[in-house]
Amino acid sequence: MQSPINIEQQLLAALAAGEREATEQIYRQNFTIISGWLIKNGGSAADAADLFQEAMVVLFSKSQEEEFRLSCKIGTYLFAISKHLWYKRLQRQSKEPVPLLDNTGDGEEEGGIAYEDDLNAHQEREAHYEQLDAALDQLGEPCRSLLKAYYHHDKSMQEIAASFGYTNPDNAKTQKYKCLARLRKIFYAGID
Amino acid sequence: MPFDNTNIFELAETYLAGTMPQAEFLAIKERLAVDKEFATEFYAATDLIRTATDSGKHKRFRNMLRDVHRMEQKAATEKKPARKIIFTPEFWRTASIAAGVAILTSTITIWSLKPSINKSESRYNTISREVTGLKLEQAKQERRQKELEMNLDAKPKKSAGPTSDVAKTGTGFALTNNGYFVTAYHVLHDEDGYGDSVYIQNSDGQYFKASLVTFNAETDVAIMKVDRAGFRFGKGDLPYGLTSSKANLGSKIFTLGYPADEVSYSEGYISARNGYDGNKLQYTLELPVGYGESGSPMIDAAGNVLGLLTAVGAQSEERTYAVSSKAIFDLLHKLPDEKTIKLPKASHMSRMSREQQIDKMEAYTFAVKVYKK
Repeated sequence: MQSPINIEQQLLAALAAGEREATEQIYRQNFTIISGWLIKNGGSAADAADLFQEAMVVLFSKSQEEEFRLSCKIGTYLFAISKHLWYKRLQRQSKEPVPLLDNTGDGEEEGGIAYEDDLNAHQEREAHYEQLDAALDQLGEPCRSLLKAYYHHDKSMQEIAASFGYTNPDNAKTQKYKCLARLRKIFYAGID
Repeated sequence: MPFDNTNIFELAETYLAGTMPQAEFLAIKERLAVDKEFATEFYAATDLIRTATDSGKHKRFRNMLRDVHRMEQKAATEKKPARKIIFTPEFWRTASIAAGVAILTSTITIWSLKPSINKSESRYNTISREVTGLKLEQAKQERRQKELEMNLDAKPKKSAGPTSDVAKTGTGFALTNNGYFVTAYHVLHDEDGYGDSVYIQNSDGQYFKASLVTFNAETDVAIMKVDRAGFRFGKGDLPYGLTSSKANLGSKIFTLGYPADEVSYSEGYISARNGYDGNKLQYTLELPVGYGESGSPMIDAAGNVLGLLTAVGAQSEERTYAVSSKAIFDLLHKLPDEKTIKLPKASHMSRMSREQQIDKMEAYTFAVKVYKK
């Protein structure tokens, strides 16, 4: 029998690999509790789905880091992130500061989690991805579709060569590098 | 070592993948230290590749999450038993494999319009991708079950979703009683290409195979025909007419569609003369619809088909967009055998109550199911 910590670590490793089973399990173990809390605190079912998804993405990103080890249980982490996301959203929506609805006690319970850092990193990352998406959209065809097929849809160069009509994967690869060079120009022009 | 903008990406890629030969790796390290211009270019390249890779990973993860959420919610709310489905002998001959799957559940079509295509495209795409990925996942699941000893809270693996090929569903409606019908093009085709086969399933649950006749991806209209010889949608002429003239702002409209396996009715009104981004071949409607109703007819009170539903707004899902029937006419005019398709001109339903209209229409409105390996 494995220890609970071990099980959680393995679950996280599976999540990091993007495995559906692990994702489903984490979803089942946490979604009801978090959405229940959120609805009690003025959120809708749609907010709950949204927020939970965002928290899962934060966890997913964390799990990608090599040196990553969760200092608390997955559930605790997701709950803390969800709460913070929710408070932030409330703050954005109303100009006035929102009282932290149940901040008593939570501080200690979640102590030691650098969720602020995690959330900031998350936001930065999302902004970065959005810039890249915007740059991708400015690319002409076939570059846009080719890069999307490779990076977004995880297609192999073999599949890409076949569906884009290249005679072999090497030709497709050369085209991919050309496309990347074009993308680079747009991407970095946008940043400066 | 010479480099240009192209081969620097090849270098960066092999460098990141860790497949670079040791000697080359050291040479690059050395050059990075002394050649500033090269270093700038090289780090820009690795950063770009890393961002693209991570961003793709995130996208796939988000898509999977969305799917997990949908499946779990569906499993939680779904209690009613599956509707009885009658298979024709022909169906068994042609698609006996797909049949078992189709009973399980229908998938959902998410779609938004061209200008906002990029955000929604990935949503729409992945749904079909994830359905196809399930088989693999399940095999993996069983293997890993033993390895990992994860306590699954004793929850049985119920409703894991379609185990095979229903990739997408939409709605279609008849253009002629002998098998021509129209649906939204995006139901049949996405970034990953066409499905392998298309079946319609009528309100009695019967399946019929259909083939694409012509389409216009721009307007999102596809005309198809049921393959079976001697096929008829219903007993008589089509009850509704098809009109290409532009309807008035504020006109009351209704629709029948298949967000799930059961036909569903919805009503609303024309809220803008043009569609998304001023598209003149479209209407904007205030009409609540569900995913899977792409291709549903948009009908006025007198029973004239004004268009077909194509999308919902990304911001407010109450806002629905419909392609004007004119796009259907335009498409048919381009066909060489245009004359063989006699479109219904006049509505036979103008004096009927809404209930009667719906009753008449049901045989001519059906689910469109796209299968993919």
